[in-house]
Amino acid sequence: MDQQALLIEQVQAAARARQAVQIQGGGTRSFYGRNATGTPLETGGHRGITSYTPSELVISARAGTPLAELQTVLAEQRQMLAFEPPRFGAATTLGGAIATGLSGPRRPWSGAARDFVLGVNCINGKGEYLRFGGQVMKNVAGYDLARMLTGSLGTLAVLLEVHLKVLPAPQREVTQYLECNAADSIRQCGAWTVQGLPITAACHLDGQFLLRLSGTDRGVAAAVQRIGGETLDASNRFWQQLRDQRLSFFSTRQPLWRLSLPPAAPLLPLEGSWLLDWGGALRWLTGTPASAGEVRQAAHLAGGHATLFRHGDRAGEIFQPLPPPLLALHRRLKQAFDPSGILNPGRMYADL
Amino acid sequence: MSLHPVLAALQHHLPAGCVLTDAEDLRPYECDGLSAYRRLPLAVVLPETIEQVRAILVTCTEHRVPVVARGAGTGLSGGALPVENGILLSMARFNRILEIDVPNRIARVQPGVTNLAISMAAEPYGLYYAPDPSSQIACSIGGNVAENAGGVHCLKYGLTTHNIQAIELLTMDGERLSLGGPALDAPGYDLLAVLTGSEGLLGVLTEVTVRLLPRPHTAQVVLAAFASVEAAGAAVTATIASGIVPAGLELLDNPAIRAVARFMDTGYPEDASAILLCELDGETEDVSGQLEQVCNVLRAAGSTSLQVSRSEAERLRFWAGRKAAFPAMGRLSPDYYCMDGTIPRRHLSRVLNEIGRLSGEYGLRICNVFHAGDGNLHPLILYDANQPGELERTEELGGRILELCVAVGGTITGEHGVGMEKLDQMCVQFNPAELEQFHAVKRAFDPHQLLNPGKAVPTLQRCAELGAMHVHHGQLPHPELERF
Amino acid sequence: MQTTLTQSILQTSAGREADSILRNCVHCGFCNATCPTYQLTGDELDGPRGRIYLIKQVLEGRTPGAGTRLHLDRCLTCRACETTCPSGVDYHRLLDTGRDLLEQQAPRPLPERAFRLLLRRTLAQRSRFARLLRLGQWLRPLLPAALRARVPLRQRASPCVTGQLHARRVLLLNGCVQPALAPQINRAAEQLLDALGISVVAEHGDGCCGALSQHLAAPAEARAFARRNIDAWWPHIEQGIEAIVITASGCAPMVKDYGRLLADDPACADRAARVADLARDISEVIEREQPWTRLTTAPAIRVAFQSPCTLQHGQRLNGVVENLLVQCGYRLTRVAEPHLCCGSAGTYSILQGRLAQALRDRKLAALQADSPELIATANIGCHAHLASHSSVPVRHWVELLSALLPGQAP
Repeated sequence: MDQQALLIEQVQAAARARQAVQIQGGGTRSFYGRNATGTPLETGGHRGITSYTPSELVISARAGTPLAELQTVLAEQRQMLAFEPPRFGAATTLGGAIATGLSGPRRPWSGAARDFVLGVNCINGKGEYLRFGGQVMKNVAGYDLARMLTGSLGTLAVLLEVHLKVLPAPQREVTQYLECNAADSIRQCGAWTVQGLPITAACHLDGQFLLRLSGTDRGVAAAVQRIGGETLDASNRFWQQLRDQRLSFFSTRQPLWRLSLPPAAPLLPLEGSWLLDWGGALRWLTGTPASAGEVRQAAHLAGGHATLFRHGDRAGEIFQPLPPPLLALHRRLKQAFDPSGILNPGRMYADL
Repeated sequence: MSLHPVLAALQHHLPAGCVLTDAEDLRPYECDGLSAYRRLPLAVVLPETIEQVRAILVTCTEHRVPVVARGAGTGLSGGALPVENGILLSMARFNRILEIDVPNRIARVQPGVTNLAISMAAEPYGLYYAPDPSSQIACSIGGNVAENAGGVHCLKYGLTTHNIQAIELLTMDGERLSLGGPALDAPGYDLLAVLTGSEGLLGVLTEVTVRLLPRPHTAQVVLAAFASVEAAGAAVTATIASGIVPAGLELLDNPAIRAVARFMDTGYPEDASAILLCELDGETEDVSGQLEQVCNVLRAAGSTSLQVSRSEAERLRFWAGRKAAFPAMGRLSPDYYCMDGTIPRRHLSRVLNEIGRLSGEYGLRICNVFHAGDGNLHPLILYDANQPGELERTEELGGRILELCVAVGGTITGEHGVGMEKLDQMCVQFNPAELEQFHAVKRAFDPHQLLNPGKAVPTLQRCAELGAMHVHHGQLPHPELERF
Repeated sequence: MQTTLTQSILQTSAGREADSILRNCVHCGFCNATCPTYQLTGDELDGPRGRIYLIKQVLEGRTPGAGTRLHLDRCLTCRACETTCPSGVDYHRLLDTGRDLLEQQAPRPLPERAFRLLLRRTLAQRSRFARLLRLGQWLRPLLPAALRARVPLRQRASPCVTGQLHARRVLLLNGCVQPALAPQINRAAEQLLDALGISVVAEHGDGCCGALSQHLAAPAEARAFARRNIDAWWPHIEQGIEAIVITASGCAPMVKDYGRLLADDPACADRAARVADLARDISEVIEREQPWTRLTTAPAIRVAFQSPCTLQHGQRLNGVVENLLVQCGYRLTRVAEPHLCCGSAGTYSILQGRLAQALRDRKLAALQADSPELIATANIGCHAHLASHSSVPVRHWVELLSALLPGQAP
């Protein structure tokens, strides 16, 4: 269903009235980011796959299209969204996935959401309909605003349509698991990656190190021999549960911290329960007595940053604060897209 | 003639030998790799430290003097073409590799380090930097970031933007900004994405952190000949459709094959209408499996001959011709103009046929080299600048080719950037609101618009004039092609 | 590139050649990547692309100034750029033409001209150089450190013992400075050739090959040296010598170019072409004879091979010497940046001391990084330049092979 004209009109009206809007797709990501304010701008009705050419490795869909629909259509052609966007509910939309820019377990080896965005059609805060990028992979005309909008949490523009690069699904995928401590799992993952093993996911949880191997039958079989360990049945289910945060690790109501670190960073001196994803580059922490400041400081010292992903104090800062010059630039960029400040104000940082 | 006051200030801040002002010294800097366009700057500065760069930018801001940054000067779109009343800022002396972090698989380098030097430094650790523009021996990583450079292997490994993890830069008013870091993502907006491909308009890079990948264990190339461009194009589509993502997939048409053969012994069959070079890399088992599959696909698509590289030396030899294709044109013709449009792959035959027709219409030879895997087309228009009017006709022909790319749903530049040479085509690819959004982003970084003015994004006025011209002639280009 | 050379220039054959070379250049900049001086200064003016552009300005009628002269003087003439250039630009020909034009249009200050004349008169004259060198070596202990480093220790060559004259005979170029600086090189070459069944005609009245004069923009003098050599060699050529063998790779490209150099001289054009045809770098001759079958195996010594520019770029002989050394049993160490000049480059080390030293130090660091016991080279200029600061001995590679002759002391 094409609600482009309706949405443009709504944004233009909001801009004229200087009335803040809260962009909503499937409502499955409203927990993420700072508290949202403003009248809802419903994008869920603007849905549908507008074009899909398997031989060109490109799919285009309206922002309200459920991810589930996209992934079903792709699977029929043995293709996939290689960045494995999380589905936090059945209603998760493409727009929500791209606006939050989150990526699943395959990210370090295949790329993040922003790496697969070829172009977006959107509405900026002035109600102007804009198209950036396109449907081709190599495109350096103008600034790469399509990628910049990815992960911008709807504070710069309302996504109407997204053009994505897709990849062929691997012929075969197997998951092995080994007994291993967290530090060794990080080291080992790095070593195996440099040796060229076809790893596409690596997770450490409760003393177990789980690795997914993907590729041709022969390649995967050889890798399984090298790695050893036990083979996990229902491999897909585990990684989907990790991706969608349905593992029991995530079922707590305690503050859930997302730490993005250099993969080889040593274990941080923070108490609590840890789950390592992305071979150590993404670390989840729950049940820590440490304060927000302490968690952020530890992440910063290790070369990364921390996000209060779920629960905890939603009224405070969610994302790692930016150094003043960078924050000032962010404000100016917000001004450039949304001078009236109507799009998801305050969703990322207080002033944006 | 008195010196511009900014020059005295620059000479005060920089050591002797770092500020060039004599016209004799400035002339070799009057152009980059696109030598058809030349302009003398006010002066050339060659700083050696970041503090000196900062002093240059602050001084120029004070005097409202524009600044154009330059790396190795190998760009093909005039991105480093000086501005007449401006300073040319060469970053070539920043050529040190600062750190190779093997456990995190990243390298921190200064912007003047060449693309190939990074891979050579990472080689002892079994790592390399994947984006490989053909000029990689000479082009600088800073320039690569500014242009979002690609290369043969970007089909599988992505462009520069997919392989950069952090950037340090100075804004025009001298502020140091640090974007990204050693972690895989960073909070806030994805400013790395905006900077990559920003063609020197938003800031001056002072440090780049690139991602290093493990060197594939093995790589092999298939060289396939076809009796028609259509067949070759269809073969490309079939290869991708079969579920394989090759490491590289390149097409050369017959004029390009013959031009390169005059330069070196390529082993390319000179009577083929088109050849495909398809590279597969990875683990030995994977590669042999994919190789079999690709050869089957190519045979089924009608290839008239197939050769598979049997050694690393042979693999490099197969590629050598393709990699030297552009400058090899220098042996065929005094000058060449390299275009850089991208199109959806399925339109390849149609576009190449139309290019052939345009070549005849203008009486200028064109050779085509094509990143077939991602639709990035490089028509090379051969001309002789010493012939009056030939450069102008060449530019006009180039413009029509780019408009054709847009008309079939593509873009005017896949990897070389807009620079100053494709400004008019930007007016065709984007509407005024979109161009104004670009300008607004620019103002957020550079409110006085002193960095590389007149490049990459045209003013609305320029487009209005162009649009008026089109209206006056009563038609849009290529009315016969359906709009995408 | 687009060119607009002046009419008067285009009326000369050198000018027309220059125009055609310039039209080949597409200004791609690949050449800068392998240029030693560009690596050092990061300045476009100190790279081949910039130099080509400066020469183009002069050929198009702009009066050259001190800047153009400085940057052309800084060129080593190593020709690494030609090896890298994908468009086939004949850079060294353009450089010669540019330098000649510069001498005419923007003559040097008198002290510079005098010094260059002095160099030509002393270095290119074998006996005069030998006398001066002896003097310097005698005074060595009294010289200031900087000058002392430039005066190498006296080398003595053991007398050459060869068997009876073979049917196969070659001339061995003596040249100008090598006999005085390192007489052992040609001795070693002679013994090696003799063992391989080739006799060397030792005395044949040759002199400097002319490269020095050519590169100091004295082309008439260069041609005079060439003619002198051709006249001296002609009787031997008529008697059937099979090659003119050259142990200093710096001289070989010059002699191989005699044909083109004297193509416009009807009195000796044909003979010059014949001489050029017979000229061989010694590595080419030795390689053909597969010497390892007749030599004892080398001790397992780690050798770093420095491939002179005149060998790898000037003559495109890559891997030949390396292969010979390996086949004979020597172990070659890894050397980074093998394509970069050592900084000797004829008189460059004297005229451009600062840059020459920087390049020398960079080259020695690269050669010594993998712990060699010896550095082997193929050119007297590099030999002397590196030996002055090397921590390991420097030898010409033919000495390494002649040391393997049966009966030789190790």
